[in-house]
Amino acid sequence: MPASSRLLETEAPLCILVDSREISSGSEIISSLKAVHEIKVQVCSLGGCDYIVSNRLVVERKFQSELLNNTNRSKLIQRIQHLQSMFERICVIVEKDRIKAGEALRQLHRTKHYDGMLSAFVRAGIRILFSSCQEETAKLLKDLALVERRKKAAIAVPPEVSSPKQDALRFYLSIPNISHLTALNMCHRFGSVKMMANSSLKDIAAGAQVSQQKAEEIYRYIRYGFDPQMLPENLNTNGKSSTSMAKC
Amino acid sequence: MAAGVSVRAGAAGVPYGHVVGSEKWRGSRLVRGLQGPVRLILEEDLALVDFHLPHGTCVLYVSEADVVAGNGFRRRLAQFRSASNLNGIVMVERTTTSDQYFPAMQNFVVLELGMTLLPVANQEEASQLIIQLVHEQSKDRTSNPFLRKQCSQLTHASILRTVQQIPGVGKTKALLLLQRFGSIHQLCNASVQELEQVVGQTVAQQIYAFFTQTN
Repeated sequence: MPASSRLLETEAPLCILVDSREISSGSEIISSLKAVHEIKVQVCSLGGCDYIVSNRLVVERKFQSELLNNTNRSKLIQRIQHLQSMFERICVIVEKDRIKAGEALRQLHRTKHYDGMLSAFVRAGIRILFSSCQEETAKLLKDLALVERRKKAAIAVPPEVSSPKQDALRFYLSIPNISHLTALNMCHRFGSVKMMANSSLKDIAAGAQVSQQKAEEIYRYIRYGFDPQMLPENLNTNGKSSTSMAKC
Repeated sequence: MAAGVSVRAGAAGVPYGHVVGSEKWRGSRLVRGLQGPVRLILEEDLALVDFHLPHGTCVLYVSEADVVAGNGFRRRLAQFRSASNLNGIVMVERTTTSDQYFPAMQNFVVLELGMTLLPVANQEEASQLIIQLVHEQSKDRTSNPFLRKQCSQLTHASILRTVQQIPGVGKTKALLLLQRFGSIHQLCNASVQELEQVVGQTVAQQIYAFFTQTN
């Protein structure tokens, strides 16, 4: 690789997409990413992803206490499975719970469930990072983004789209198991929706910045033969649909 | 030193529910915690590894003293990484004393070496965690929710939803368009005239513009 392009690459600011839900629980992470680490942060609704760090890596932030017992288990499993349907790599950042003012420093009372969850993550190849505060989480996010850039997976498109392209973004987002970033990539890299639909597998993989397997999923979906008979009952017959029938 | 790099030959063949540990751990609190819940076999010469678990997983233990002492453990972990393709889990004692070194260590182990790092407070916690790891490795893959193959979504309903994202197209029009053209791909390539056979002129033009609009 010529030196000039390497220089260019290091100069482009790192970009991380942050889910709008993190504003309330992770405001210090967002401000630290911006102010301390000089990262381009785009806060938007990411539909269940906390932080999108690269074309293939998503980060789920969890408090230690959420892994200690059964109460959050099924919700957590659902979330991670949802991430797995969209991303090649998943990292869970386990953050120490915040100590409220006046509360004594609590030692983590480690449970079997906690160790069991860690073991399940390890076996499934889900990365785990530990953080003691929001500033540290921000540092970890930046370090992950740096590693991903070295692996040529950094977010390379502008994280926002102009208003005429919003419709196309929504259209791409409705493709099953597509992340916000994949839809963004498609918006920016394909001249039009028609051009995207007519792209070869290879071009989809390159344009959307996805794996061969994900490109195949998209390719198949675009060409999938629709059969109204296969719609679930509630979509095909009366009920809610009768009102929309009247409207059209 | 080079001979020490060799990782136990039969490491991949640790039977389910078993742990093969290094002889140097005999009598330790960690080993006492393991005995009973798992079948523990202690062997000489495990070299860099402290415990072998089923499924080619192994544990490298880094004590508080190792952490504070500095670079020795780094060399050991890097050596392990380059010498074996086992799934290495680094267990580190994270105490009030070693806490300050943890972030740098995590960066090295997870981000540089690509290994797993799990902090424990002491040997008792380590034995509890190893027991859970052994249980996990001994279970059927499908019992792990993150390894389960997810059932495919309702594709037809999704396609209908995708077509409804086109401006001006509601559910009824989406159904009519899909019935006429059969797939999103065909619909994208429809001419205005073809679209007009299904929807009104204005909407037909709107749909056509949506598909062909360039930046």
